[in-house]
Amino acid sequence: MSAGGHHPAPASPVEQRVAALEALLTERGLVPEGFIEEITRRYESEIGPMNGAKVVARAWVDPQYKQRLLADGTAAIAELGFGGPEGDHMVIVENTPGVHNVIVCTLCSCYPWPVLGLPPAWYKDPPYRARMVREPRTLLAEMGCPLPEDAEIRVWDSSAEVRYLVLPERPPGTEGITEAELAGLVTRDSMIGTARL
Amino acid sequence: MSTPLSLSDLDLPRRNGELAFDAPWQSTVFALAAAVIEHAFGGDREPFRQQLIAAIAAQPGRPYWESWTAALEALVQALP
Repeated sequence: MSAGGHHPAPASPVEQRVAALEALLTERGLVPEGFIEEITRRYESEIGPMNGAKVVARAWVDPQYKQRLLADGTAAIAELGFGGPEGDHMVIVENTPGVHNVIVCTLCSCYPWPVLGLPPAWYKDPPYRARMVREPRTLLAEMGCPLPEDAEIRVWDSSAEVRYLVLPERPPGTEGITEAELAGLVTRDSMIGTARL
Repeated sequence: MSTPLSLSDLDLPRRNGELAFDAPWQSTVFALAAAVIEHAFGGDREPFRQQLIAAIAAQPGRPYWESWTAALEALVQALP
């Protein structure tokens, strides 16, 4: 939006196509009043990696929660109040000293929305989608996440239903801090698996 | 010892990422797909996902939200 709105730039071809879709779908009664604004607000301010960070921090401090999380990700995530589209079949994959997990969607952009929000641009781009399967160790190193030669890398390709979330290892030296402070240490990329903490 | 943090003010989703949308048309077309999935497909996301896979495969270098738009157009055309 331009500040004054008096001289808006002409709509680009794709903007015109989206406007046409909006008009058509509204006319067919498929877009309730305020729906677009509500969805946008939700994905811009409510749903994002801070949700996943709370899940990870809880798993770090509560061994029984972690057990439930690894056994049934969807249900354990719902305990913290998170759920919805792209989160119906959540599987949590745990990093250990010898195993590093990373998630990808080779065909499109499947991603665990309720806990991570919408994916970053690079996650949706062809190089990441192709290379994370073909040469994960090289790509991870290029992304600033070098792994020891003897570490096993497990690449999880999101399928029609399953959405994965990486449970990163708790950083050393964090024994004395609170769950909320732990959540503040968890980054989005550590839950995708392209970073370590 | 630092002041304890409250979970609620920990941060916005963009904290370690980028904004979800770069332009208003992107959030609009995102929400339009959600509307169609919810109100024309009873919440089943798979038909849209298949269109998105096809749209991305057809033009791998096309910007993501433009592929999303093409996928939604194809899905809407197939509506009864």
